[in-house]
Amino acid sequence: MHSTAFFLGKGGVGKTTLSSAFALTLARQGAKVLVASLDPAHNLGDALGLKLSGNATSVEPNLDALEVDLGYWVDKYLEDSRRQLKANYAYNVTLNLDSFFDILKYSPGTEEYAVLWAIEDIHCRLGPLYDVVVFDTPPTALSLRFLSLPTISGLWVKELGKLREKILTKRQTITRLNPDSPVAASCVDKDDDKVYGQLKGIKARLQALEHLFACQSFISVIINPDKLSVDEALRIQEELTKLHVPLSAVCINKQGVSDMEWSQNPSLARYPQFIYDFSRGGISTREDLLGIGADALAERFREASSDTNVKGKKPCN
Amino acid sequence: MPRSFGHILKSAIKIATQLNREKATGLLEFEVKELDNIFALLVLGGFAGLPSPPSPIAIELLPYMEKDLIMLLSRTDLAQDPIGVLAGMLDMG
Repeated sequence: MHSTAFFLGKGGVGKTTLSSAFALTLARQGAKVLVASLDPAHNLGDALGLKLSGNATSVEPNLDALEVDLGYWVDKYLEDSRRQLKANYAYNVTLNLDSFFDILKYSPGTEEYAVLWAIEDIHCRLGPLYDVVVFDTPPTALSLRFLSLPTISGLWVKELGKLREKILTKRQTITRLNPDSPVAASCVDKDDDKVYGQLKGIKARLQALEHLFACQSFISVIINPDKLSVDEALRIQEELTKLHVPLSAVCINKQGVSDMEWSQNPSLARYPQFIYDFSRGGISTREDLLGIGADALAERFREASSDTNVKGKKPCN
Repeated sequence: MPRSFGHILKSAIKIATQLNREKATGLLEFEVKELDNIFALLVLGGFAGLPSPPSPIAIELLPYMEKDLIMLLSRTDLAQDPIGVLAGMLDMG
């Protein structure tokens, strides 16, 4: 069932505004909703009118919100690995470990992984406490990278797993032929090999996230009536198609912000369209957010949710 | 007291069998060492500038790869002449 919604789009199109309005609408309709911001430059708290942290904070009955602290997730992850490494390695090997891990904090890809770990944590730990989890995402570049990570990393993990299996099979053969071989002293069984076990664990986690994005999520792309945001939405659509992640809705925000003539791109026009007028008076309260009118989008979400429920027994493509 | 002929024969057969076993598995052991080295290079090569999986995957595997890491470092001694090592294994030259 769809219990997770993602709002994607170019920076400044209104992802935070629409995701807050959508979450608020569902909450006012009686669903228990958590809205989480994954954007390192958070402004979800500003939109909802209260200070948020990495822990779920009650906004109003049925609605909680949090702003993911990516720094915390990077530190936690590296600290876990450092502790595990210290426990497993000989003391002299781990002498310079602190400086090594300090550098790893800035390694390319770490921030994208931190977003993934945060999503995984919210989905697995907090998800069961809510009917719906809404994610307000960072601008396109970072969002597409974390959405594609389970697939790309999955390929690496699959190939590494195959190589490890080959090594273990050959070690088994050597042990059978020559029990006195030094190889016999090393790990020969898949169940006992910690590296293989770890690869299997990573694979399962990545597959669960891939399944969450492709089969359990309602993904909306937000555009403004301008060429730049539409072009970026097209790139998002293209990337999502490559990842087999279906797009569920297109939200046209700030309609009427300019007098320039504008028409929807045919590639985006085939998805359900939701139009939101530009609020000339601005949005400063939660009631203003409700005034945007996200009811139709919430209704579409419920329909898609029940539709997936009916098809729930079908394996995800 | 001198050992009986049967005992000596038994020991000779045991030694010959072990020699044959080692001969039979020698190449396979060399191949496993190479595969182990490739695996370690694939996972940890990113730290030395080689194409590798995203570094967070390497970091997750690193705590369980102490032996692989030690082996990787010891194999660097042979990295200059892998053909020579193989030729030595096959009694060539």
